[in-house]
Amino acid sequence: MMDTASVVDFGRPAGRRHAVWRFLRGNLKGTEYTWAVAFVVPYAAVFLTFVAYPVVYGVWMGSERGLYPELFADPIYQNTVVNTVLYLAIGVNVKLFLALLLSGFFMRPGWWMKALLLIFVLPWAVPQISTFISIHWMLNGEWGFLNNVLYTLFHVEGPHWLNDRWTALGAVIVSHIWKWTPFWTLILLAGRMAIPLDIRDTARVDGATGLRGFVYITFPLLANLYLICTLLSTIFLLGDFNAVYFVSGGGPANTTHVLATLGIRNAFDIAQPRLGVAAVMSALPLVIPLVIVLMRKLRTAEVQL
Amino acid sequence: MSTIAVDAALASAHAESRAHRAARRRRYLTTTGTTVLSLVLVVWTLLPIYNMVLISLEPEGDVFTDHIWPRVVSVESFWGVLTQGHWYLEHFWRQFANSVYLGAMVTVLTLAIGSLTSFSLGRMRIRHGWLVSNAALLTYVIPASFLAIPFYRIMQNYGMANNVWSVIAALVAFATPYAIFVFLEYGRSIPIEVDESARIDGASPVQVYLRVYLPLMAPALVAVGTYAMLLAWNEYLYQFLLLSSKSSMTVPVALAQFLSSDQSPWNYMMATAIIYAAPPVAIYYAFRRRMTAGLTMGGVKG
Amino acid sequence: MLRGSLALAAAKTVAFPHVVKAAATTATMWFSQGFVQDEDVVLRKIVADYEKASGNKIELSIIPFAPHRQKIISAITSDVVPDIMQSEPNEILQLYAWQDKWVDVSDVVETQRAQFSETALTASQAYNNVTKKRATYGVPLRAAVVPCHIWKSLVEKAAMKVEDLPKTWDAYFDFFKKVQDNLRKQGERKVYGLGFQVTASGVDPYNLFMAFLVAYGGQDVVTKDGKLHLNDPKVKQAAIKAAAYLGGAYRDGYVPPSAINWNDADDNNAFHAKLMVMDVDGTLSTEVAIKEKHPEWYFNEIVTHGVPGYPNDNAGNPVPSIVNITNGLIPKGAKNVTVAKEFLKYFIQPKVIGEFVELGLGRWLPVMPSLAKSPFWQNPKDPHLKGYVQQGLLGPTRPDYYVFNLAMAEVRAQHVWSMPMIEVAREGVKPEVAVDKAFKRIEEIFSKYPMA
Repeated sequence: MMDTASVVDFGRPAGRRHAVWRFLRGNLKGTEYTWAVAFVVPYAAVFLTFVAYPVVYGVWMGSERGLYPELFADPIYQNTVVNTVLYLAIGVNVKLFLALLLSGFFMRPGWWMKALLLIFVLPWAVPQISTFISIHWMLNGEWGFLNNVLYTLFHVEGPHWLNDRWTALGAVIVSHIWKWTPFWTLILLAGRMAIPLDIRDTARVDGATGLRGFVYITFPLLANLYLICTLLSTIFLLGDFNAVYFVSGGGPANTTHVLATLGIRNAFDIAQPRLGVAAVMSALPLVIPLVIVLMRKLRTAEVQL
Repeated sequence: MSTIAVDAALASAHAESRAHRAARRRRYLTTTGTTVLSLVLVVWTLLPIYNMVLISLEPEGDVFTDHIWPRVVSVESFWGVLTQGHWYLEHFWRQFANSVYLGAMVTVLTLAIGSLTSFSLGRMRIRHGWLVSNAALLTYVIPASFLAIPFYRIMQNYGMANNVWSVIAALVAFATPYAIFVFLEYGRSIPIEVDESARIDGASPVQVYLRVYLPLMAPALVAVGTYAMLLAWNEYLYQFLLLSSKSSMTVPVALAQFLSSDQSPWNYMMATAIIYAAPPVAIYYAFRRRMTAGLTMGGVKG
Repeated sequence: MLRGSLALAAAKTVAFPHVVKAAATTATMWFSQGFVQDEDVVLRKIVADYEKASGNKIELSIIPFAPHRQKIISAITSDVVPDIMQSEPNEILQLYAWQDKWVDVSDVVETQRAQFSETALTASQAYNNVTKKRATYGVPLRAAVVPCHIWKSLVEKAAMKVEDLPKTWDAYFDFFKKVQDNLRKQGERKVYGLGFQVTASGVDPYNLFMAFLVAYGGQDVVTKDGKLHLNDPKVKQAAIKAAAYLGGAYRDGYVPPSAINWNDADDNNAFHAKLMVMDVDGTLSTEVAIKEKHPEWYFNEIVTHGVPGYPNDNAGNPVPSIVNITNGLIPKGAKNVTVAKEFLKYFIQPKVIGEFVELGLGRWLPVMPSLAKSPFWQNPKDPHLKGYVQQGLLGPTRPDYYVFNLAMAEVRAQHVWSMPMIEVAREGVKPEVAVDKAFKRIEEIFSKYPMA
């Protein structure tokens, strides 16, 4: 984000010392520069102490060569990678697609929509530990609420949801979608509302309403935001610990772990912190390209109009 | 009148009423569709929450029931939580206070540090500011839960284990990048001339920050503040790893204790969970309009 | 300048005596929270009594059960340790003794040597890979054994009698299958005969499998010298039989399906909810948890087997019970080893330690046979304590296998035995195949800890 003023400054003929000075400081002088630096110091300190140092320390912890063969040999690890990929692929895309559709739905006028939106946001506002434990109990095969409902209303004996790897994984993914779709719906809703009224009006006058309006007008304008949301959501989801931990506990028999929960399990349940760090580090090859793309997207394009 | 004209008039009247009917049918379908979708959304959203309430109202603390409506309603569990009447809830109010403190500190610090940084980057346009904003984004390279283990070791080394400030530090570190970006984006809708005219009037940077920047950023501040508070309230892993004594624990850690209990006071646990959920929900609903405005980043350009 | 720094140094040495003096009389202690409040209350009382008697101070932190493990692991790996810890989970004694992290406490144990049971003394020792020797690193405090817990009322509902329980292993557990069949005929859909913890979480599955392994003749899987004997055909046969029986019970519908997801507390909760007729679970926590709220269950409806009652092996010989001992530990790097040792010596005096287990409602066992003869344990009005103490202290016992080789602790933590059970139960894998896989994994783990 180079501001134009400094570009202009650069081009002006000036003494060498002046040029260096201006290179360092830009167009801020004296106490202003000091203040600008002072304002950035708090975050820089926080970043160095609580992010950079732990990252370096983590990389050091996970850098022992022997860890990785041991990690890959663990049969739980292989399942975990598959689970993580599925969790990401399905979780992110279904969630954002739903958010996109629902954000359109919530654009409708009326007090009923506003009330509905209020209710709809509850999963995001209520703490995860409360709701995920509730979901965990809801899914119990013998006395869980879901099976009680199925039996009482439809006389169907529901399965033991958490006893099978795939239904348990599905339950985790659905829980995640349940919790986070409201948040992303709000973001996309804000994105839609930021589309200038005159564009929307013109579109309506031209007859581009409904599906056509969406495809030709709305989505292109939202596309960038949608992409950024997808990237951000993927990164967040990769680190999501709570859904798996509370809903399925990694079970049955450690078959629904994801990398985040496997790391913690290695570190504490079998008392091998370095193996835990190795587990999460093994996700880096996926994360780093994502973040680079995200960084580029955020820098070059405007998020909103 | 010629019959042709009458016919034409009738035909067009027919066509109009057909169009009307078609439009009415479409409206009818849309309304039904909307209603159905609304119902589905309500049930989908409230199902786990209803389960929470159902369990908390059980008199015996028995999760082993097979009814879907509360048969006997007992608020014994809520009373027990509020009066700290159960052994695991001995320190509930202390732990609740810890949670509130954690949430408040994370919010305040995130807002302060985030706004200061984005002011310097976005308004004062400090040179090489992109270094800082990219560094901030790098925070997300390794997701928070991945950093838990090294973070935890480091806090031991700093002597901050079992201290709520270690959790505050972690959460502020993870919330501030988001704050910086939202503030930078939102700030784009505020013309730089405002700052400059204040500066010409003789205001120092601090005064511009306090008197001009912050008031104009109010909706974004509310949005980010709410987000930070919800983040702190929602978080579990760091609190669990870093806080291990009854007096330093926060409510999520205390809740997790119930999970390893042999005695299954599940109704108490759910009551605790519901009481814990009350503040963030209340705060969200109080600030929701400001939140949307802040997220819209500058509002509709008309 | 020099004078100034000398003065500073002098000032420091003057100040230090105060600091040193304070350290001489205060020790920090970590102990995990009990499952019932009474356990914590009695511990605090003992600490207070010691403080009064000795003039020293003990800073006791009672740590909730769940974060306790994290705290211990982090403390030991970062060398920021309290003065007294407890071996919870029990195998950390052996695990970290390997890395030379404990202070030798043979002098403490010596003060009461005659009182301790043979099993307790064995379990307090561990192999140190730095000194390449075994030494006594733990002070035995309390013990736990794995009895069977039975709902007498459910057995009677099935028109059968607990007194009719066979005395040999397979027949004993088959009895409960019949109980389930009878209950099902009465329309009870949601009751299961056997509460086997066929899961990969917590310590219960390991305890369960090992009990079966020993009963089927595999007790020499690891011998006292720490050597692994998986090639022994007796051990292999025992493991196959155990996997076949336990997994088979689940496969055939005699175990609650949700067992596959149980952690250490879930099975107790399921038992209280009468989801199963019996379970095999360590300590008396199942009974103690409901003693206050449901005395009728405690006194009339639940039976603990315990000895007599606990089945013999299929040939009719008594099966030695595996005992897990909780030890007091002093980590290396503790600031106040003197007071730590003094407190532990105080703690293991028979009167004190006896009070500790008794006032904890008897969830844990004492480690001194003389204490088992107290009126508390021999109380004829209590249906559980006598059998429990007979099984865990007075009858034939053996320490758990990680005492001989800490690799077994990792086998437990990684739930290696759970896999054969689960594979037979749900995936139709043949017991021989499943056990072979498990054996391979165990050999891999053992190869990480070569002992001299």
